[in-house]
Amino acid sequence: MAEIAQNYSSHGNPLRERRVLTKRYCRYALAATLLSAMAYHIFVVETDWARMGGIGDILSTTAEFLPNLAFFPVIVAPLFETLLIAFWGTALASVIAMPVAYLAARNVTPYFPITYPLGRTIIVLSRSVHELIFALIFVSALGLGPLPGIIALGCRSIGFLAKTTSEAIENVDRRPIEAMEATGTNPVSVFLFGIFPQIYPIVVGNVIFQLDINLRRASILGMVGAGGIGYVFSEQMQAYNWNNAGTVVLGIAIMVIVGEFISNRVRTRLISGVGGDRIGAE
Amino acid sequence: MTMPNHLASVQQEYFQAVKVGRLMRFGGLLLFLSFAVWTIYHLNIPIERMLGIFGRVGHMFFERMMPPDMDYALQPGILYRVLETIEMTFLGAFAGTVIAIFVAWFAAWNVTPNKSLLYPLGRGILVLARSVPVLIWGMLLVAILGFGPMAGVIALTLLTISFAGKLMSEQVEAIDMGPVEAMRATGAGPTKVFIFGVIPQVKPAWIGIAIYNWDSMFRASTILGFVGAGGLGIYLRMNIQELEYENAMGVITLIIGLVIISEVTSHYLRGHFYQE
Repeated sequence: MAEIAQNYSSHGNPLRERRVLTKRYCRYALAATLLSAMAYHIFVVETDWARMGGIGDILSTTAEFLPNLAFFPVIVAPLFETLLIAFWGTALASVIAMPVAYLAARNVTPYFPITYPLGRTIIVLSRSVHELIFALIFVSALGLGPLPGIIALGCRSIGFLAKTTSEAIENVDRRPIEAMEATGTNPVSVFLFGIFPQIYPIVVGNVIFQLDINLRRASILGMVGAGGIGYVFSEQMQAYNWNNAGTVVLGIAIMVIVGEFISNRVRTRLISGVGGDRIGAE
Repeated sequence: MTMPNHLASVQQEYFQAVKVGRLMRFGGLLLFLSFAVWTIYHLNIPIERMLGIFGRVGHMFFERMMPPDMDYALQPGILYRVLETIEMTFLGAFAGTVIAIFVAWFAAWNVTPNKSLLYPLGRGILVLARSVPVLIWGMLLVAILGFGPMAGVIALTLLTISFAGKLMSEQVEAIDMGPVEAMRATGAGPTKVFIFGVIPQVKPAWIGIAIYNWDSMFRASTILGFVGAGGLGIYLRMNIQELEYENAMGVITLIIGLVIISEVTSHYLRGHFYQE
């Protein structure tokens, strides 16, 4: 009895051995040490506290960003352009994502050893490269304007759309497909009439969700000259017109909130219950 | 056999309605397509030069950006910024997750401690933080706090609150209310209900969200330097402005490699924790 009692921790939880607890506390201590070392490096070594000034300075600088409503009419047209860039980028991506999803779905890919890795590589590359990097490449190749922005958004969105679509394809009901194959249907028709009707609601939901995300992405593309509201924002920031920059932020926020609200409403109305893979969109 | 008169008229009305519905849908589609075509003209997209863009992008990519200059990208100065990026990610994701726990608690309708005050507060924080892109947070914070990784850490914290907080509160809203009701019936307050009724149920999902969030934050922090908010993104901006495309491609390759490593790590860790 005494031996067993010795193994109990002093915390009054007899199910946890002292050894396990010690190991856990060591891990916590290690994590705390690492985090405080990082915090020291970032906040003490790398931060210029003198430039920042006191709380009063920070608050007065923040107050300079109060929106200047007289500037609002100027940003309506760029906001509309941002909306169009997001729309066309999503449209481009949804057209390209379908064949990529076809390649990257384990059950329908034409020749597994080659086409499956190809499809997966396109998805991984598209998902792991930031839209700003795509925009930089396309702006330097195609010049300023909304076209490189649209193509950059398209490249960035292929990954999410193709990934969710290929997962939907992998989860389809096999029976209609087998019935079609048994009657000798060619693979393209099998995809169009056997698979596509099954994944259609999921794809539509994801495209709308992606459109909503792309609205947010499109609003920064202008920083590198790829059209839209971001250009106005960086222009006003560089000119130290901070009130106007505040107006732009307000405009972006309103657009994004309205877009998210509409996207949620439309998705729940179109396809109740199918939200798609929300994780992995950001 | 002929159909009774009134049934025939009902059938006719039905066909009429179907026809009208089809016409409306067709008209809507036509309107939408003409709007879409108009937007292309509105955006001044040079349709006639559309076929040439493959050539131009290909030329840019293969002649001027390839091969990426990895000797440049792996020099000590840049590797130091990589370390800074990783530190920013850890600090921002950690601080954000701690705050997101409270925001998720407040913003979950079923267990929120106060429905009239704290619930709107939590929702408001989620919506406001989500509505502004992280790069714009970064630029604003750089203007307020000065250049350096501190602005980046705060921007990442805000992004984590919006991103992880939303997913976490969705998890809380999906819990089994049985234990919560049992605790409430014995007189437990909202805090005790949260600690002993909610957290044990959502803990595995929350750990998964926190790890996934870390990996998203890493992706965001590689780019934050572009606006001067710390990390290796600053080299991207420098090289693009100096038209040193091979160096820029080296940095981009480094970023892609790091992001893929972080994704694989996060995937592995999530699998590891879900098994327990």
